Amino acid sequence: MKWKEVLTRLLKNKLSLFGLIIILFFVLVAVFAPYLAPPRSPEDAYEIPRAGWQVEPQPPREGYPFGTAQGSYDIFYGMVWGTRTAFRIGVIVVGFSSLLGITIGTLSAYYGGKIDEFFMRITDVFMSIPFLVAAMVLTTILGKGLDNVMIALVTFGWMGTARLMRSQVLEIKNEEFIQASIALGASDPRIIFKHIIANCIFPVLIQAFMRMGSMVITASALSFLGVGAPEGYADWGQMITFARDWILGGQGSALKYWYTVVIPGAAIMLFSLSWNLIGDAFRDILDPKLN
Amino acid sequence: MRKESYELVNYIIRRFLILPFILFGVTVLVFSMIMMLGPYQRLSTYINDPAQLKGQDMDKLISKYGLDDPWYEQYGRWIGGVVKGDFGWSESAGQPVTTAIFSRFPATLELALFAVIPVVMGGIWLGVLSAVHHNQKFDHIIRIISTIGWSFPTFVFGLLVLMIFYGVLGWFPPGRLGADAAAIVRSTEFIRYTGLNVLDGILNLEFNVVFDAFRHLIGPIVTLSIVWWSYILRITRSSMLETLRKDYIRTARAKGVAEKFVINKHARRNALIPVVTVAGPMVLGLLGGVVIVESVFGYRGIGQYAAQAAQQLDYSGILGVAMYFSFLLILINLIVDVSYAVIDPRIRLE
Amino acid sequence: MQKKIIILLTLVLVFSIFSVVGAQEEVNSPDTFTYVNIGDQSTLDPHFAYDTGSSEVIYQVYETLIGYDGESVKNFTPLLSTEVPSQENGLISEDGSDYTFIIREGVEFSNGNSLTAEDVKYSFLRGMISDRSGGPIWMLYEPLFGAGFAGLSDVTVNVVGVEDPKQLTDEQAAEVLDVLEDKITVDGNQVTFHLESPYPPFLNILAQGASWGSILDKEWSIEQGAWDGTAADIAASHDPVKEEDPLFDKMMGTGPFVLTEWVNGDHVVFNRNDNYWRGPANFKTAIIRNVDEWSTRKLMLLRGDADMIYAPTQYRSQVEDEEGIVVTTGIPALQNMNMIFNWDITTEGNNYIGSGELDGNGIPSDFFADENVRKAFSYAFNYKAFIEQVRMGEAIQLRGPIVDPLLGYDENSKVYSLNLEKAEEHFRKAFDGELWETGFTMDLVYNSGNDPRKTAADMLKSYIERINPKFNINVRGVQWSTYLDASVRGILPASFGGWLADFPDPHNFVQPFLDSSGYYANRRGDTYKNWADEVGINDLIAEGISTTDSAKREEIYKKLQKMSIDNAIDLWIDQPTESNTRRTWVKGWYPNAVRPGVDFYSMDKAAE
Repeated sequence: MKWKEVLTRLLKNKLSLFGLIIILFFVLVAVFAPYLAPPRSPEDAYEIPRAGWQVEPQPPREGYPFGTAQGSYDIFYGMVWGTRTAFRIGVIVVGFSSLLGITIGTLSAYYGGKIDEFFMRITDVFMSIPFLVAAMVLTTILGKGLDNVMIALVTFGWMGTARLMRSQVLEIKNEEFIQASIALGASDPRIIFKHIIANCIFPVLIQAFMRMGSMVITASALSFLGVGAPEGYADWGQMITFARDWILGGQGSALKYWYTVVIPGAAIMLFSLSWNLIGDAFRDILDPKLN
Repeated sequence: MRKESYELVNYIIRRFLILPFILFGVTVLVFSMIMMLGPYQRLSTYINDPAQLKGQDMDKLISKYGLDDPWYEQYGRWIGGVVKGDFGWSESAGQPVTTAIFSRFPATLELALFAVIPVVMGGIWLGVLSAVHHNQKFDHIIRIISTIGWSFPTFVFGLLVLMIFYGVLGWFPPGRLGADAAAIVRSTEFIRYTGLNVLDGILNLEFNVVFDAFRHLIGPIVTLSIVWWSYILRITRSSMLETLRKDYIRTARAKGVAEKFVINKHARRNALIPVVTVAGPMVLGLLGGVVIVESVFGYRGIGQYAAQAAQQLDYSGILGVAMYFSFLLILINLIVDVSYAVIDPRIRLE
Repeated sequence: MQKKIIILLTLVLVFSIFSVVGAQEEVNSPDTFTYVNIGDQSTLDPHFAYDTGSSEVIYQVYETLIGYDGESVKNFTPLLSTEVPSQENGLISEDGSDYTFIIREGVEFSNGNSLTAEDVKYSFLRGMISDRSGGPIWMLYEPLFGAGFAGLSDVTVNVVGVEDPKQLTDEQAAEVLDVLEDKITVDGNQVTFHLESPYPPFLNILAQGASWGSILDKEWSIEQGAWDGTAADIAASHDPVKEEDPLFDKMMGTGPFVLTEWVNGDHVVFNRNDNYWRGPANFKTAIIRNVDEWSTRKLMLLRGDADMIYAPTQYRSQVEDEEGIVVTTGIPALQNMNMIFNWDITTEGNNYIGSGELDGNGIPSDFFADENVRKAFSYAFNYKAFIEQVRMGEAIQLRGPIVDPLLGYDENSKVYSLNLEKAEEHFRKAFDGELWETGFTMDLVYNSGNDPRKTAADMLKSYIERINPKFNINVRGVQWSTYLDASVRGILPASFGGWLADFPDPHNFVQPFLDSSGYYANRRGDTYKNWADEVGINDLIAEGISTTDSAKREEIYKKLQKMSIDNAIDLWIDQPTESNTRRTWVKGWYPNAVRPGVDFYSMDKAAE
């Protein structure tokens, strides 16, 4: 199926179109970040500037279109550069962990037997460690910082993909056309491999799309627990965490600090939703068995 | 038939025998991660607050706790205790690790059990419906709502639930029990059968306790449910969609089999495979406790403990939690794999 | 099947909502007091505890010989002793080194055992023998044995030449015990403490709020496995491991409450001691709950499920003006916050000092040994903004280690203020002008999660970088474990510190902060230790603690304050005040800077 056709069909589907537009919007924000929210210096680009030292969040006003969060961090700046962070986390973590998972899952299912046992037990071992615990211990060892968070997320995030890939390959292995190819003497494992991956990769690809969205959520959960990007780093999860003690509002009005929650929350939600919609649409399009 | 069930039993036994090795693997992995830290860093489990630095002689403490002994000695000490059933002392909990885990387990179990019902039932039911009405309005709406549910940061939702249902209405307070119910539970007449407040309340015929416990559960359950329900729904839906397109379904349809029959018998059964794959980790997640929900609602469960132990580098605690998880996971995996075999005769165990 | 379950659950839901509905306006549970705090408790052993969480619990169940008079931290009232020793009533000897307490008759522990002078003597001896490392017992050793004595091992070295008390033979132990017993003597119902020399804050060390001054029931303690009173048991009872300590989770005191249940980090439940000698408390049950999440605590207070909560200054505005809530602010607290300069930075394995040289890409090991650098930093901090915005105005600027209202505190003494010209002036002078030319790069580190510290670091960065573009400061947050490791190894160029008084006397501030053998001197390195000795700081401190002449002491401590500012020994930030947030139906609450937490006995719940 040609990519042009895929794209056209994606654009035709209203929901995926919506998703694409949102993602495109985020991409633009990420690309133009230095113009939208000029940093003080290139090294400090991801450090959110502080409008002062005040603890209480202040509503949107002149110079601070989204207001300031707890500690007077500029929300607009955090959101803009946070877009870059979201993409970085998504692409790198999903990319590497999927690669790892696909490799392990395929090898495991294809060769079966002891190799399968071995890899599955390793998967079990990695899955047994509560993700949070592992992430926290790793970040302590490696130090705080986004790169280390990503390492932790990749190290403990490939198992789902591996298992999915494995179950796909297992299923396909028994299907007739693979058996037929082997019987017909297609002895080159690489060809068989290609067949297998070509047919099994779609659920994994779709899962990868979904994970782009969920990565941001996982990262924000880590921020919430004090693991993750250092305080003041431009990251949506950080921004939402800043809102933690102000969500219930203040005197008389529960919505007094709405901007600290709604703005980052909406971004996270839209980002995740868009990837989901695109992923769903992809599934509809790429399924070879669809008429 | 007999040969197959023999194979199955064989398989189960083999898996159980591997269990200790996996547990061992987990402990080695976790232990080595922790050992990558220097003794002063690991000391932070005993001094976990800057205020406690007062007057402490760090080096004395390090030798007192044997933090600079060679790694195999430290591991050996720990394993030696484990074999006797002693998992060491958890600094972060201020209790022995075994007590820490066992005292929190019932709370998380209760939460998980009550949450599974709406999550699984609602999620699967809606997921199937959504897939069947694929690309129609119903499907769209459900998908959007479920994605919103999944991406809504848990603690925001939790705090909102707390605010509305507790702050404003006063219906669902935080914690596990109110002061009066707690007094009843603490008294000597109340017998602790299971550690699950609702169940124990029923068994002791103390219905005040039952309702009080239930009130305290609802907040966390609602919060948990929204997130997990969305997740299950999505998985069910996508797997159902996959299945609905499979050849044998089309064949059945072509043969003129009634649609309802097609869905109920064939599709559902096969769609359940990925669901079952996911249900395993999901239950594990629930049993592991959801850290955020537990901290927002002041609910003393395993999730909160795991986070606490990790944050304070309480290595006996971390190891204990890892073992606990490991054991659960293997158990659940086993159940899942067996269900696989039962549901789909085509996917047989290698 | 699904439908039936749903219907059943809905019914249960509805039923449970209406079965227990609490009223918000009336006093909730008048016979129970609930206080919600953060944190947890470490141990219930008065001689082991050295944190406020534990001390707060100990306060409700155990009592001391004397207490403080209401809000005062200087005036005492009798408690288990019938009189407060003084020169006037002769209970303090003329030379000031003997203190005699008359033990009250008719007081019982909650198990019915009578309080006797033997119990008092036992309590202090047991404390001194147990003396866990890093614990509070050094405060008993210093007055009783003199400067240079901080623990049992100092005595054993002195008496029998053995450094580790756990290695004592029975004979040696007997000798040591004799020496200890000579310090605390019993005569009928009187107990006398024989100090080495006059020690001005001695009464403060024993007063209520000081857990280590708690009086134990000798009989009960021995039954639990604590030190049995013999010399032979000394080795086994010394420096216990926290959870193996017999008194770790059990309590027996003369106080108004008894311990009912302790679930660490979750709650502590007390029941009223109906036989309390001052009359029973106003509540049958008192509860301390630990909830770390601010929003949850807030809701509990508003619903009335909590009678009093810990509301940090920065969030308090969310509940302050609500109906039914009353807040007291400006409570003087004996605590301070500062930034310690490391005058002698360890360079090995140090990532925080860049190149480690004065070349613009790092800082040398003696960066802060140059007084001009320290002064420049001191002028580059915006004290006013910090206090107003981070502390919401509820703090006063620090004028040296000693806090208000202790002796030596002078609200008119000279302090620094934000002055970028002066800062520049000192930077230009530093390292004979070299620093200004080359510039520097360094990391300013704080432990993650501590916002005031981060803000202080951000502040310094923003002002200092403005002065000279060659000045670079990276603010870094690290995990607590990393921070601990770094500060012990001396690699942090500057670190944040804060001290909460053990007892209300300036000595408890100057010693840790300024003395060469003090706790913070370690973080400044040998350069500081030698300097402090040379300029006479150690001598002043020794003098201040050994004279009972108030005027003389005041002079000494004022001088020490001045020196700490004039030489910019550290960057002195502020002394935050505390606040209390409670429901209006709480009566009888009063503040006291020494009290480790809440005092259930003093309070009552009554509608307006």
